[in-house]
Amino acid sequence: MIFWLYIVILVLLSLVIVKEMFEERDWKKQIALVMVLIPFILRIFLIK
Amino acid sequence: MKIDHKIVASFLLFLMTVVCIVSGVEFLDMRTPDVIYPSEDLTKIGKLSDYFEELKDGSGDTDIYFFEGKEPGATVLLLCGTHPNEASGFIAGVLATENVKIKAGRLLIIPQACLSGFSCTDPMEGYPQSYTLESKSGERKFRFGSRVSNPLDQWPDPLVYSHFPSGQKLSGFETRNLNRSYPGRPDGTFTEKVGYAIVQLIKKEKIDLAFDLHEAAPEIPIINAIIYHEKSEDIGLNAILNLEFRDLRYAPERSPENFHGLSHREWGDNTDVYPFLMETCNPIQGRLRGRTNSELILTGKSPQYLAAQETGKLRIEYDAEGVPLDKRVARHLQGFLEIVNSYNEFFPEKTILLEGLPEYEDLLENGLSNYLK
Repeated sequence: MIFWLYIVILVLLSLVIVKEMFEERDWKKQIALVMVLIPFILRIFLIK
Repeated sequence: MKIDHKIVASFLLFLMTVVCIVSGVEFLDMRTPDVIYPSEDLTKIGKLSDYFEELKDGSGDTDIYFFEGKEPGATVLLLCGTHPNEASGFIAGVLATENVKIKAGRLLIIPQACLSGFSCTDPMEGYPQSYTLESKSGERKFRFGSRVSNPLDQWPDPLVYSHFPSGQKLSGFETRNLNRSYPGRPDGTFTEKVGYAIVQLIKKEKIDLAFDLHEAAPEIPIINAIIYHEKSEDIGLNAILNLEFRDLRYAPERSPENFHGLSHREWGDNTDVYPFLMETCNPIQGRLRGRTNSELILTGKSPQYLAAQETGKLRIEYDAEGVPLDKRVARHLQGFLEIVNSYNEFFPEKTILLEGLPEYEDLLENGLSNYLK
């Protein structure tokens, strides 16, 4: 149960990060955001 | 020229997708099973789920190779791959599975006890995902996994791991460590369920003698040791003495009575088996290892450890030749054979007679490749 709860949290966080990426105007911060997103995506798809 | 920030975001998302696909393919490659070719004396291949149904077809449902002699005798369990980043234990299990012949008694081999841990590596360690060994049929690739179960099978880790049933506290990471999970429980975590299934196997198959093969970093005090439960002491010390006669030194280590969750403690406390755990020296697990690649797994050569040895502060013998995988596997197999011989001396009415496994000197002379199919 707690596993899937964490996956839901990850999905929500990922959506927030993507939204933030499109609102952020500093490209360096956009790169930082995308780097955070990579492990989240790999975990959501149960790859890593 | 200023590029619109939304175009930059879209481009970065595209790049992220490419990175996820490329790395994902590499990570998924670790789910390809290792291939083992059992010897002609194989009786059957069982599954761990035969002892605990809930594991069926899951990532903890590892293979169990049964070898049964024509004559009755003792039943021995050789458990390998508890920690998938400890290559010599796993390869010793593969070699035994592919070569053993049995005359009396039964031998059960589990080459990949923590099957889940073979599907990932430890984060932040820079470990290779696999290594390649020469064999009679050409090159064979084996996975180099993680010390613990894959977080995809058990996640998140607690801050503090409380062992069942002792209540002993360990770091949260150890919650996925099979060798901290015994005796396990049917309604526990994934790793506790695997530990529970192994204990059920020991009980149901009436295992008399059991082994758990490991490796540790050169700076860990228990390397090159045989660790035994107090009830196994006479068998263990007799074997260690016989190994000394061959100029092979193994430190005798009695299992601490208040250190719970480990095979040599919990198997002995919860079943009738005589348990043993053996350790060899594996530089790739150490903090001083330097360049971390598959070459280090195979050769065990680390200039950093040699330099540390020269300071006189390293406990083990370590020289420029390193600690090659052949030697580590040979130590495990010789230790296993001597303990089996010792058991036979103590229980002549219920012996196990094995053939086909190379002696220490033969394995070093001929190399691993001559014993892998």
